[in-house]
Amino acid sequence: MMDVEIILLIPLAAALLSAVSPSRVAAALSMVGSAAVLIASLPVCITAFDGAVTAYGIWYVDGLSSLFILITGIVGLMSALYSYGYLKRDEEEGEVGSKDVRQYHVVFNLFVASMLLVFVLKSVGAMWIAIELTTLVSAFLVGFYRRDKALEATWKYLMICSVGITLGLFGITLVYASSSDVMEGASGALDWSVLFEAAESLDPMLIKMAFIFIIIGFGTKMGLVPMHTWLPDAHSQSPTPISAMLSAALLNCALYAILRFQMITEISAPGFASALMIGFGLLSLAVAGAFILISKDIKRMLAYSSIEHMGIIAIGFGIGTPLAVFGALFHIIAHSLTKPLVFFAAGNVIQGYGTQEMNEVRGLRKTMPMTSLMLGAGTLAIVGLPPFSVFIGEITILGGAVDAGMYHVALLTAVFIILVFAGFTRNIFSMMHGEPKGEVKEPKGMLRALPMVMLLLMTVLFGLFMPESVKDVLWSIAEWFTGAI
Amino acid sequence: MLLLSMLAMTSTRMTQLLTAFAVQSLFLTILAFVVADYTGHSELFIMGGITFAVKVIGIPLVLRRTVARLHTGKEVGSSLGIPGCLLMSAMLIIVAYLVTEPLVVTVETVTRNCLAMSMSVILIGLFMMVTHKKAMTGVVGLLMMENGLFLGVMSVSYGMPLVVELGIFFDVLMIVVILGLFALRISKAFDSIDVSVLRRLKE
Repeated sequence: MMDVEIILLIPLAAALLSAVSPSRVAAALSMVGSAAVLIASLPVCITAFDGAVTAYGIWYVDGLSSLFILITGIVGLMSALYSYGYLKRDEEEGEVGSKDVRQYHVVFNLFVASMLLVFVLKSVGAMWIAIELTTLVSAFLVGFYRRDKALEATWKYLMICSVGITLGLFGITLVYASSSDVMEGASGALDWSVLFEAAESLDPMLIKMAFIFIIIGFGTKMGLVPMHTWLPDAHSQSPTPISAMLSAALLNCALYAILRFQMITEISAPGFASALMIGFGLLSLAVAGAFILISKDIKRMLAYSSIEHMGIIAIGFGIGTPLAVFGALFHIIAHSLTKPLVFFAAGNVIQGYGTQEMNEVRGLRKTMPMTSLMLGAGTLAIVGLPPFSVFIGEITILGGAVDAGMYHVALLTAVFIILVFAGFTRNIFSMMHGEPKGEVKEPKGMLRALPMVMLLLMTVLFGLFMPESVKDVLWSIAEWFTGAI
Repeated sequence: MLLLSMLAMTSTRMTQLLTAFAVQSLFLTILAFVVADYTGHSELFIMGGITFAVKVIGIPLVLRRTVARLHTGKEVGSSLGIPGCLLMSAMLIIVAYLVTEPLVVTVETVTRNCLAMSMSVILIGLFMMVTHKKAMTGVVGLLMMENGLFLGVMSVSYGMPLVVELGIFFDVLMIVVILGLFALRISKAFDSIDVSVLRRLKE
């Protein structure tokens, strides 16, 4: 029984090897390592999807965690592939040295390992440590370009997330206080499965208080408004493959923690956690929508789009019917497949034009046909047009809201989604036309195009024909999750 | 503990602030030993020991070094005067007592009052991060929040499992080192460690 350890050891080994090898080899190590992680996690995840929980030592993997592990694996692999070309170009332009590139790959692998660690731990206390580790490790990636703006973003990222997560720890403390009361100091009072079974006998007052701290604390890291302020800064200043990782994988870590506590809270004090989730979700959606309309920087706009999608997901889980939760789970997958696609396409634009300002980018269709195609498709996908998978996620959550009789939630969500649609398409498509200023060369390369094509295929595939097996798995997770609610 | 938080809040010099933090940590250590002795939780002895090593000696030392290397002058750069700070702290304490009142009834431990105090320390730490301009005072604020947190952990549950505690300590130490590192980079890039210069990123 070494299944879980292997998943974690692969990226660690890749990080160690990268530290002692030249930057080209380090890049290859990241790719091979990420692919190996994905393959290594399959047996555990498939077991978990069949309904069997893998739990031994300090590890605990069930269906929900497996879903997140696979998503992290896929996003990691895609980012590793894209990183190669992106950093090579940076190196050619003298923005970074080859030593920096090597350091990048070391930290990249550590980052993947720390995120995977979040999903496989049994104790919620240890999970907290892992989440804090993700912040600490990724800080080096956010501040990778040592420009003043990147440093500012890193500082804000570290400070705001650390404060948030400290508040989250206070919440966990309160949960522990009530559980150790019930269990009279027995060991394992912080273990997720023990907490879940004892949830009915936990003190509701204490748990409610704890959940407030937890949603504020981890919500900071998940990017819920009004604790989101670090997010656009960090996303816009980090190297593009890292922006994609932050958006499509890191936010999921905090989401995962919130979900675990939501289940416990719903058993102990029904309705409380769900209402908070819907409230924060709607607020995030509204604010993100407004900021997308006025965004000038393409990566900031994509960051706000992440906030928007996290809001939609929170609403889905907040509604809490099996249909809505199914939609939210699907939406997590859809968002994590689509967002990196848009980020990668945007990365090409940024490197080609040398700016992140959307006003200065014109004539994309002529100068970069391939990127333009990908950016266009990605935009349509992320704003939720059929046949892309984000559409299925959004429509299912809306259906769930209507089904549960929450018409006002459904209506507000729909309005904000349309708002985002308008802002997004206007900003992106105006970049495609017009005359480019000066010479622009499209960044080319197999390893740049491959992840985009794969992501596009996956998001279309999931939107058009979802495999029965995937559907069954998501349904069983949704039913299990709502069984708790 | 609370008094020291207030003292830190009103400190005008960096060294004074760090001393206040170290003494606060010392009190936390003593409290850990007392509670351990009283309840027979031997794990708390270990925890107290680590608190002493990390927070009373280790972190203040690291911070002193960083401050010395930053050459930023001794003032902490508070945007509120001392009376204002005291007033706000007092209000935060009242808020903490009000909020924790319904909880305190349910928790039966030797240190009932501690939950409210721990919340106060957390809030004051947060307040310090907001009002003080120098980057390093933010770090101290964060650490004081953590101190308050540990006070809370001890008061409501006699400490978390040891592995978790150790992990948290490790994380805290890492935060300080990494923040120190970035503070150095920032002071190089901006010629200042005043966080109010970090205003460039906006729409």
